Amino acid sequence: MKRLRKSWRDPALILAVAPAGLLMTAFFVVPLVMTALLSFQGTKYYRLVWTWNLDVWSDVFSQAHYWTIMGRTVWMSGLCVALCVILGLPIAYAMATRLKSLENHITILIVFAFLTDAVLKTFGWVLFLDRTGVFNGMLTLVGFPPGATDLLFGPGATMIGMVYNLLPYTIFTIYLSMVRIDRDLILAAYDAGASKTRTFFEVTLPLARPGIYAGAILVFVLSLGVFLEPKVMGGGTSPMAAELIRQSFETRVNWPLGAALTLVVIGIGMVSLGLAALVVRNRLQGQDLQGQGGQV
Amino acid sequence: MDHRTESRIADVILYGSVAAMLVFFYIPILTLVAFSFTDSRFLSFPIEDFSLRWYGALFENRDFLPALGNSALVAAVSTLLSTILGTAAALAWMRFRFRFQRVFQAVTFAPLLFPQLLLGVVMLLWFSVLGNWLDFSPGLVTVILGHGVYIIPFTLVIVAVQIHGFDDTLEDAARDAGATRWQVFREITLPLLWPGIVSAAVFAFLLSWGNFYISYSLSGTARTLPTFVFSGIAVGSSPIYPALATLTFVPALLLVVAADGFRRHAAKRNRMVLHTEEN
Repeated sequence: MKRLRKSWRDPALILAVAPAGLLMTAFFVVPLVMTALLSFQGTKYYRLVWTWNLDVWSDVFSQAHYWTIMGRTVWMSGLCVALCVILGLPIAYAMATRLKSLENHITILIVFAFLTDAVLKTFGWVLFLDRTGVFNGMLTLVGFPPGATDLLFGPGATMIGMVYNLLPYTIFTIYLSMVRIDRDLILAAYDAGASKTRTFFEVTLPLARPGIYAGAILVFVLSLGVFLEPKVMGGGTSPMAAELIRQSFETRVNWPLGAALTLVVIGIGMVSLGLAALVVRNRLQGQDLQGQGGQV
Repeated sequence: MDHRTESRIADVILYGSVAAMLVFFYIPILTLVAFSFTDSRFLSFPIEDFSLRWYGALFENRDFLPALGNSALVAAVSTLLSTILGTAAALAWMRFRFRFQRVFQAVTFAPLLFPQLLLGVVMLLWFSVLGNWLDFSPGLVTVILGHGVYIIPFTLVIVAVQIHGFDDTLEDAARDAGATRWQVFREITLPLLWPGIVSAAVFAFLLSWGNFYISYSLSGTARTLPTFVFSGIAVGSSPIYPALATLTFVPALLLVVAADGFRRHAAKRNRMVLHTEEN
């Protein structure tokens, strides 16, 4: 498909670009700038005062408490990424190779679950994992003592909730890169005598890398901001960054602090995005060189 | 290990993982549906007696009705807003080349990489500052704008995927036959993109209908269904919430099924149009 070169004087271009561009500028870019500006202000008697100083930032960097929570958030997000990739791989592979006839139905089932109200799903998990909930009830039916597991209100439950809400992202990105793989490459590997397992690990998996990276990045940045899972399923015992931000806005009514903490989380996300981009570029370049070497 | 056993093991792992995933995804949803029919005040398993008692209780106290109305209004307007703006932006992304295209792409895609709570907080700060200056307080309008910012990247990607498989020779043919730019857009481009636009609209509706984080930050004193349920379960799990949950699943499910039917129908029709034109 050809792309048309458009000048800014063309009304068609203005019509296509202006509405979304203006909305995003006014309610996404400007708010980000505003957040940055607010982090240099102060509060007095729960009211914002425009002071222009670094008090909030020196507070943020001197309190170990904040960084414990940030550290926990990064650790939980990293674990969540690992679990989402490992669980997403076989599912995406099965959907791309085995379940062609059912693929459409499975996609709809995933999309429906994914788009259902997150509060309700989290509440459903609470009822399932509770001491007197469905899971323990089922275990009693097969002979375990009542209340055999006590998952709810701990970091384990938080992790179940995070994986639950973010797994669809890795399934879809990995699936999309797997269906694009040229089937001939896989058949060639079989012809050359490679077993199915070996073909998967040496042909399919490396070619699916773009999808794995994209999914991993998405899951990581999105899990930095989870709030419902640690609050409702984790019982608030091990708060994550979002809870800290909410508290500084709602309980302490300290906007500059909330703004600064928000920027810290965004910063962590951007730094990891940048690092990931660097790694991916190096890897993909390495792959290209190998491919060229093979052709020569 | 011979090839037979190897592929059998692979089959077990692969089919098993898909089955396990589907069970995993539907655990909380089915749990809620099951508990909505309990007769007991306590949401514990096994469920002793089944009844419609809590549906009755739900319709008697009706506290949820304003929240339901707000959710429906917000979802309808945000769907319209984000589908139209997302479609226009997708056309600019995929079919045009222009100065500052990179900037436009970055700005319209970036919200997808933001945790929703942070998006909500950042916008709340801005709306509060604006509200101080212009004398308004956050409410349904700010929720709709917030949903727009959050949902447009999704609708944009969905429509862009549809544009990617687009055959532009039909447009050339129409232009050659003397159609104006607007006619080409209305008679050729839009019908061919329709399946993608409908999928985007369904996605937009459900994302807005079930949205918690952004509504929570931006709704002020107004309540939508998710924030209503959140404030309810935060103080203790009352047995009416599973019934309310089950009722909100129904329109969403119907919408998804109807949209899939439409998508297949449209895909078939487009194939037929192309086929007859080839002959």
